[in-house]
Amino acid sequence: MASKISEFTKGIIKDNPTYVQVLGMCPTLATTTSAKNGFGMGLAATAVLVMSNVVISSIRKTVPEKIRIPIFITVIATFVTIVDLLMHAFTYDLWKTLGLFIPLIVVNCIIMGRAEAYASKHGVLDSLLDGLGMGVGFTLSLTLLGSIRELLGNGSIFDITIWGKAFNMFVMILPPGAYLTLGLLAALFAAISIKKEERAKKSAQQAGQAQKVGEAK
Amino acid sequence: MKKETLKLSLTLMFYTLIAGIALALVYQITEQRIAEAELANVIKSMEFLLTDENNNQIVDNDTIKKLVIEKRQESGKELYSDGVGTVISPVYEFESNNVKYYVLTGNAVGYGGKVLTMAAFKYENGELSLYKIKVLDYSQETPGLGAKIADGNIQARFYPIPEEGLKNGLKVDKDAGKQTIDPETAKTEGVAKVSDVMTGATITPRAVANSINAMYKFLKEKYTQGGGN
Repeated sequence: MASKISEFTKGIIKDNPTYVQVLGMCPTLATTTSAKNGFGMGLAATAVLVMSNVVISSIRKTVPEKIRIPIFITVIATFVTIVDLLMHAFTYDLWKTLGLFIPLIVVNCIIMGRAEAYASKHGVLDSLLDGLGMGVGFTLSLTLLGSIRELLGNGSIFDITIWGKAFNMFVMILPPGAYLTLGLLAALFAAISIKKEERAKKSAQQAGQAQKVGEAK
Repeated sequence: MKKETLKLSLTLMFYTLIAGIALALVYQITEQRIAEAELANVIKSMEFLLTDENNNQIVDNDTIKKLVIEKRQESGKELYSDGVGTVISPVYEFESNNVKYYVLTGNAVGYGGKVLTMAAFKYENGELSLYKIKVLDYSQETPGLGAKIADGNIQARFYPIPEEGLKNGLKVDKDAGKQTIDPETAKTEGVAKVSDVMTGATITPRAVANSINAMYKFLKEKYTQGGGN
């Protein structure tokens, strides 16, 4: 059971698709001009990721090695088109805002990456959890990035005014702002994981020393 | 070797066939809904354009709906261009208390792509004035800068404009060199004052002004020639 939970949670911090695996940079940089856009993009990508992971995992034994990539792409493109049509029909306003970026989910490396690296080698349930976890991680990353950019560039988060026009850096909503924020957040995530590793090493060393002392006695 | 290639092609064909069938099914289900959503969007914008300042509807919803559905087939064609702005079909005509209203759509290039604006013009006693506008598509404009054009209060800076102001072309205040003017006086002179509410973004409102100018010229040429009614 613990392993099933970790299949899900690994995507959120440890293997975070955006800041640790650095996958899917195109939608990350382009859609995070506001918290709402980042969140919407994250959800759409999660839906596609979960569905494509499940299908690819369930057909993995019938797919010949040589043509696995074209088949994966077909599966992914089909789901993206389905999501695009459904959003156009039922969530018109959101579809309008995300417009151009929905078809781009096809080339989002996270989805292809998880299909190739995970779903094609693991069972359906694990792949579902992996897709869900990665999707949640991606959504949280984009929402975080979008919130920071919207706050610094427009003085609001999710259209709720925080400090309004008192402090606005236009550059944060423009492409350079995306790179700056992404770089700083990636550094933060790296710092956290380095700290964790050091701590783990130290406690392992201490445990080792204690053992030695115990043996010497 | 040949046999293997054939097998691989057939496998791939099998998967694409399934994908095709799945897409066809979803398309069947959503086609009607998508058409309705698009239509509802047009009708909603027109209802907004044909509502006066006291929230009274100038033309009732059923008339709008009927006309929109009627003209559905001829939509999306380029009717007129003055080099910077383009007018897109269809043009809707309404009449209420001897006043004619024209609702039409135009676009002009903004910062990242085309900015689409729907506008209602009023034709009364030989005077063609801009009644109301609604910016429909600004998806390519920079969020937080140009995309602020979505704000209804900012769009209100563009209307109403009397014919006197439209004759020489509607301008944004920066281009007219009148940044200190107040918004209401600006309208009478054919200036949309936006520099205070859209700091740092002149290109997007300029596109809106350009498309309004194209629509005005088009109506003047094709619909109201000869004047008077």
